[in-house]
Amino acid sequence: MPDEVVDVLIVGSGAAGAALAWSLADTRMKIVCLEQGDWMDPAKYPTTAMDWQLRGFGDMGLSPNGRGRPEDYPINDSESPIHVSNFNAVGGSTILYAAHFPRFHPADFKVRTLDGIADDWPIDYRLLEPYYDENARMMGVAGLEGDPAYPPKKPTLPPVPLGKLGETLGRGFNKLGWHWWPSDSAIATREYEGRAPCINLGPCITGCAQGAKASTDVTYWPVAVRRGVELWTRCRVREITVDENGMADGVLYYDAEGVERKQKAEVVVVACNGVGTPRLLLNSVSSHFPDGIANRSGLVGKNLMFHPYAMVMGLFDEPLEGYKGPTGCCIMSQEFYETDPSRGFLRGYTMETLRGMAPLSTALWGMSSGQLSSGEGHHESYQQLWDRTAGMVVICEDLPEECNQVTLDPELEDGNGIPSPRIDYRLSENSKKMLEHCVARGKEVLEAAGARKTYAEAPLGVAGWHLMGTARMGTDPQKSVVNEWGRCHDVKNLFIIDGSIFVTAAGVNPTNTIQALSLYIADKIKQNLANLFD
Amino acid sequence: MASGFSDAESSTLTSVLDEIIPPSRDGKLPGAGELGLVDYIADAVEKSPDLKPAILEGLSTLQDLSGGRSSDGFSALSKNEKAELLKELATTSPAFLPGLTYQTYLGYYQHPRVLEGLGIPGRPPHPKGYELEVGDLGLLDPVRARPKRYREC
Ligand SMILES: Cc1cc2nc3c(=O)[nH]c(=O)nc-3n(C[C@H](O)[C@H](O)[C@H](O)COP(=O)(O)OP(=O)(O)OC[C@H]3O[C@@H](n4cnc5c(N)ncnc54)[C@H](O)[C@@H]3O)c2cc1C
Repeated sequence: MPDEVVDVLIVGSGAAGAALAWSLADTRMKIVCLEQGDWMDPAKYPTTAMDWQLRGFGDMGLSPNGRGRPEDYPINDSESPIHVSNFNAVGGSTILYAAHFPRFHPADFKVRTLDGIADDWPIDYRLLEPYYDENARMMGVAGLEGDPAYPPKKPTLPPVPLGKLGETLGRGFNKLGWHWWPSDSAIATREYEGRAPCINLGPCITGCAQGAKASTDVTYWPVAVRRGVELWTRCRVREITVDENGMADGVLYYDAEGVERKQKAEVVVVACNGVGTPRLLLNSVSSHFPDGIANRSGLVGKNLMFHPYAMVMGLFDEPLEGYKGPTGCCIMSQEFYETDPSRGFLRGYTMETLRGMAPLSTALWGMSSGQLSSGEGHHESYQQLWDRTAGMVVICEDLPEECNQVTLDPELEDGNGIPSPRIDYRLSENSKKMLEHCVARGKEVLEAAGARKTYAEAPLGVAGWHLMGTARMGTDPQKSVVNEWGRCHDVKNLFIIDGSIFVTAAGVNPTNTIQALSLYIADKIKQNLANLFD
Repeated sequence: MASGFSDAESSTLTSVLDEIIPPSRDGKLPGAGELGLVDYIADAVEKSPDLKPAILEGLSTLQDLSGGRSSDGFSALSKNEKAELLKELATTSPAFLPGLTYQTYLGYYQHPRVLEGLGIPGRPPHPKGYELEVGDLGLLDPVRARPKRYREC
């Protein structure tokens, strides 16, 4: 539709784009979403074939650089100890995500007021609460009521099974008198809205062949498309264009054949994630915006937050049946979540326990850690490791710092010749202290649970999967890129709805909050339709 | 020569694989050679230009070294002799054993017979999945008894 002007043009069909598209669908506006990837076919996900253990390192791997699918864009993250992981398809990175689905705490929106660092959000928990609830209905959240770490909330589905592994670790937390709770998980633990129940396949992070995991290609999108939203796949947006008044008037994109096209729109919404979004904004240069669209504050791309992760693992004497069950979702602990300055750092972290390793990962880990012998004694040494591992990832709150940033790489580009992002990121002293603390506490609880040996890696290099802060929200146009409901200060018909707009990162996985925010922004758009650009 | 290796190379490789992962004493797990991983290795070698010369060169050296001890090649040697030659090979062809061991693990620990030997079904996880117990949620009683842990604001 070369000359037709659509009402709302969304770029990116991941967690955020899907939720907003679904919500706006009831306005009956003409809504189009452009997505550079394609629909995935769950029947081809790794767990359907015998090579399931290996494919997680191949075409369904975490890093766009290693994976190299045509829809991926390379990212220069050589100047960062944490490397970006994402997925580019209908559903975005939710195709791979582990579906850990916590909410922020009320205190996460008031970091400056409570702890004297970073900034407060211009919105709060109470405002987002109904959107968290709505998102829980749409995604289907498994969990257990009564967690003392949170204000009351009702899960939609029963919790993921603890299994022997979860019970073992739970006992360890109890021994120390620490908080723990079954993880809120965006996983259908029973049949839900046409989705089949989880059957404990194991590696959720290579795509869920069962359709039990709430990736947005199986939750929001089918409903949004039924309600008339158009989702155009294999359309990669190069830049957002502006009219003579500096308002967004559409985008230039490449279609599946690589042909450059223009699509005009009344409203443009960017949902390309915390790295893809600043990349697109910085690539959108015009006489109105020589430093990239909506970037008069100079803050587009700045304040990148990742969540530094630690991985702490223990070796147990008993088999734990850890090869089954959702890899990333079992139990979590927020014993060290809220600030306690006596620990030597501000803010805190969540411990999220993992299931155990599959047979091949056990062998490769045994080989690389020197614990597995070949030849005589191979099987005996393997049996010491097989199904004896349990552990956790610890997700530390990252704080915004302008030096941590996404810029455009001067040389690297994607298959359409669009400049790629470059990441410059370093760990803060606060993060380093927090990582040290959480590794020690992680080992302590694994030992309390019966581990005879513990191991740790921090920061976890592959864990750049939470991308936040690069187009932050605020009321002051000098200090933020978007206002308190996602509208760019500089371009009143341009909205940003993904993790880029986070002011701070909290110490939990972000997707539930990203989606609650995009549902909230969609509501604000609907409420303000008559005077949206005032 | 179906595997892409000559018969002599295949026979040597099968024996080497059984040295890397021999059968388990209880008979539940086969040796890697006995499992027929030669084809898997041949495929991996074809796909990896770095690995191919190291494996071919290692096999040829091993055949030469074995020839001095037995006319029937490496497979006919005693356990001790095989171990000695592999040790020698580690100095003359240092890339051979690490590369081969890695590929052997990849092939072995994805094989249905091995998965079964480890006590898990020898099939992909989907579509049958696995049973997993919900577990004892009563373990949470002490956590429930503690005061709320979030800051009200
Ligand atoms: C391995 C892994 C595990 C994770 N585990 C968890 C977890 O347990 N819990 C949690 O909360 N979060 C998790 N995450 C993070 C979670 O996936 C993201 O927070 C979430 O998907 C972000 O949503 P988004 O809509 O902002 O971006 P994405 O979901 O990344 O979607 C962005 C979309 O935009 C498209 N796009 C980008 N640029 C363009 C362009 N120029 N033109 C057209 N299309 C474009 C991309 O193709 C992509 O589909 C995980 C992520 C990964 C990779």
